[in-house]
Amino acid sequence: MQAQVEQWLKEGNVDIFIGYKNVDGHVIPHFFTNENIDEVKDLVVGQAHYSLEKIATKVAADHPDMKIGILLARNCNQQALHVLYVWNQLNSNQIQTIEAYEASSDPAFDLGQSEDTAPYKQKMGLVKSMVPKDVEAFDQQQRFSRWMYEFSKCIKCYGCRNICPVCFCKECSLEHKDLVRAGNLPPEIPVFHLVRAVHMAGRCIDCGLCEEACPADIPLRLLYRKVDEIVVDVFDYETGTSPDQSPFSVLGEKVVLELTPIDE
Amino acid sequence: MDYKFVPSVCPYCGTGCGVLFEVIDGKLVGTLPNKTHPVNEGKLCIKGWNMHEFVNSFMRLKQPLVKTFGRFMKTEWDEAIKITADRFKEIIKKHGPDSIGVLVSAKITNEENYLAQKFARAVIGTNNVDHCARL
Ligand code: SF4
Ligand code: SF4
Ligand code: SF4
Repeated sequence: MQAQVEQWLKEGNVDIFIGYKNVDGHVIPHFFTNENIDEVKDLVVGQAHYSLEKIATKVAADHPDMKIGILLARNCNQQALHVLYVWNQLNSNQIQTIEAYEASSDPAFDLGQSEDTAPYKQKMGLVKSMVPKDVEAFDQQQRFSRWMYEFSKCIKCYGCRNICPVCFCKECSLEHKDLVRAGNLPPEIPVFHLVRAVHMAGRCIDCGLCEEACPADIPLRLLYRKVDEIVVDVFDYETGTSPDQSPFSVLGEKVVLELTPIDE
Repeated sequence: MDYKFVPSVCPYCGTGCGVLFEVIDGKLVGTLPNKTHPVNEGKLCIKGWNMHEFVNSFMRLKQPLVKTFGRFMKTEWDEAIKITADRFKEIIKKHGPDSIGVLVSAKITNEENYLAQKFARAVIGTNNVDHCARL
């Protein structure tokens, strides 16, 4: 891995490589360039994951011609990159990657999931280890009250949006004054969370970074997984692998889908 | 080329969350939570997430201001400290040490808070020490 990066930098295949380095015991994102090429020997892969792809979009926005190398520490990094390519946030010709994960690594399992055993949360809310099927086992009223319990804890830190590798809109609906009023806590629920969920349809690659960043322990990933299920079932669109933009990029005149009740 | 991540601590409140400042091409463009920091474990509140904004703010005070004849004048640190010390001396002489109070802060370190109370008790000679959380 280090030898490859060193070679790329020396030969000019990449101008900058985004990886990780251990700084005072914290493995944090680090930029490697020809100027600090002797640091390449310190390039490591850590347990904690940052969105290096999102960092790359910021570099690319300033310097569209810069050739960027990125370390992919998980399967979902690849998918995030794919989404950023199809939405023209990164140019695949400018990006080189090094994969440092096992092909079979499922992003669902290498996350440091926090303890989900708090009795009150189990009684009132939804725990992170649940899958959409588990939530559907509750009746509609329970489901609603459990989600509302979770949403009511939101402190509107915008961490879920800020950390998300595929959140890149210039104008964010979560800051639109008609949808989410400034200065209120919790934000308008469930609107705040559902707006984000709808916007993640066809974009979310299930990396789990939002859930990790949520100080209120809201099972965000579970919510977006449900949305993604619909995208797969109804539109046959696989986020992170399908070669085109999601069907939601087209604004139409007419609704062509049949309306179905929420509870079939 | 100046591209780096600078580990730091959020100064907004006493929690002291660990952050990483994102420097892209010499410009501070973002703040990320430090995922392995024992205090916040990769989470931040809205203040922490937006720290780079106040660092870059044009309203930020970068040098001491001394109020003279009702107007704030820019000055150097040595000068500002000397003026403050002289005014303190005057006030203490006229009204006694208990006419001065020292307010410490959650946004500074334990050690700095210790120094501040030491300053109040040993230099000024008052027990009027309080904390910003009770303001
Ligand atoms: S899991 Fe969360 S952070 Fe990751 S892509 Fe989906 S919404 Fe974004
Ligand atoms: S990260 Fe959690 S608390 Fe913060 S805005 Fe998102 S849902 Fe709310
Ligand atoms: S991020 Fe928020 S909670 Fe953490 S130290 Fe800063 S102000 Fe306090």
